[in-house]
Amino acid sequence: MIEYYTFKHRGYSLEYRDEVFLRLVPSITVALFDGNKLESAPKSQSLLFSEILSSEEGRKNLTDLNDIFEECLDEKSEYFILRVVNNGIECIRKGGVCAKIVSKGQITLLPNGFYCLDSDDRVICATDNFFKHISEEGILADALVADSCSEWMNMMVRRISDQTQLKCGNLSAVTLKLCK
Amino acid sequence: MYDFSLLPDDSLLALFIALVLFSVAFVSFSIVAVYTLIKTTIYSKKHKDKLRLICDVAYFHERGKRENQEDSVYISPMDKAEENGIIAACSDGMGGLLNGEVVSKYVTDSLSEGFPYKFDDQEENSKIICDISNKIYEQYHLSAGATLVMVHIFDEYMNFYSLGDSNIILIRNNRATLLNYKQNYITLMIKKYAEGGIDTTDAYKDGRSKGLIDFVGNLNCNVLKTSRPLRLLENDIVIVSSDGVTDSVPLNRLANHIHPDQNATGIARAIKYGVKARKNPRQDNYSAVVIKMKRSYV
Repeated sequence: MIEYYTFKHRGYSLEYRDEVFLRLVPSITVALFDGNKLESAPKSQSLLFSEILSSEEGRKNLTDLNDIFEECLDEKSEYFILRVVNNGIECIRKGGVCAKIVSKGQITLLPNGFYCLDSDDRVICATDNFFKHISEEGILADALVADSCSEWMNMMVRRISDQTQLKCGNLSAVTLKLCK
Repeated sequence: MYDFSLLPDDSLLALFIALVLFSVAFVSFSIVAVYTLIKTTIYSKKHKDKLRLICDVAYFHERGKRENQEDSVYISPMDKAEENGIIAACSDGMGGLLNGEVVSKYVTDSLSEGFPYKFDDQEENSKIICDISNKIYEQYHLSAGATLVMVHIFDEYMNFYSLGDSNIILIRNNRATLLNYKQNYITLMIKKYAEGGIDTTDAYKDGRSKGLIDFVGNLNCNVLKTSRPLRLLENDIVIVSSDGVTDSVPLNRLANHIHPDQNATGIARAIKYGVKARKNPRQDNYSAVVIKMKRSYV
């Protein structure tokens, strides 16, 4: 079973250039696209990103999928893809979009490749603009206090708001908890 | 000058032998001391992770410009630390309500009576705090209240509990982070604004938004607590304080007052004088318990 919560906010910008993608079958896939560094047509790039993921090619393994993105997307595109596999997760990332895992009272950056999960582990995937305004200790404390993924997200949004009043550009994040 | 030629030969010989023996003893002592120092350094570097993380604790408790001291602090007995861990708490009587000093003292006294607490039973511990709150409610019916922040450190792990808007601050790598979120209306407003996709400037403008949505003295309060403990690292500094501290020394400037090599007493002193130096004419009561984590053989 998986519990997740997504957060998308324009952050006082003219348009929302990111994309958050979720797919539950055949395997749970979470993907984030950051188009804020693109100089032209960020919306078309984010739509292309979602289109590839929802097509048959989206079922390919992450290395092959990454090759397709390299081929089709603008080279300044930044993205992160996470897939739940058996009792763990595998992920791949390009650029500043990344995930952090809270495990055994500590927080670490989720590396590319496969990572075995414990039952109480929590994961946050977000763009670098989201992580920029919040410290790792803050993310960790909120994860340990929150009862649900939505509560965890709301606590982190409060922290970002305390710094920026949510006037800091596009914010995109997904919180995840895998329950055995 | 001494004329040693006047001494008999036997005495000179005795003096010479004494000097030689002293030199040998001094050299031997120096060799042993240097050897021990080198060995200890190598051992502590090699087994750094195996050395226990212990708490160095200090506190300050100041009245500021107020007539009464409405803050109250509690630190559990240090000689029970190995068995039951360390509890540090700070309660701040709510301004504008009656009997702030009585309520905050009652909270810390009740915590003291309830010691020891089970480290892994956060549910039970928060229930104890909730019971304290209900007792205050029965007595005062919302005409008195207090905030509470409490940490429970056992080995290298920490659970924390919070009610209201006092502070639990972690300073790691020279950066201060507030661990507990403040239970005030701003939190609710931000949630609403963020869901609506708009900025949250207005949430901070409204003076009433700092009003508390939960505190000790409320009926069946919702205690903010960690469901799993946070792992502490060497040189982490945990500060459990009333808002009188952060009103004068904001969180982003707190680390500037601290030197990484200071012990808990030095840190407490630095923060206390940092607040005092602001010379705030309306300085609220300010109290804090400072805990510095350090490795030790003991």
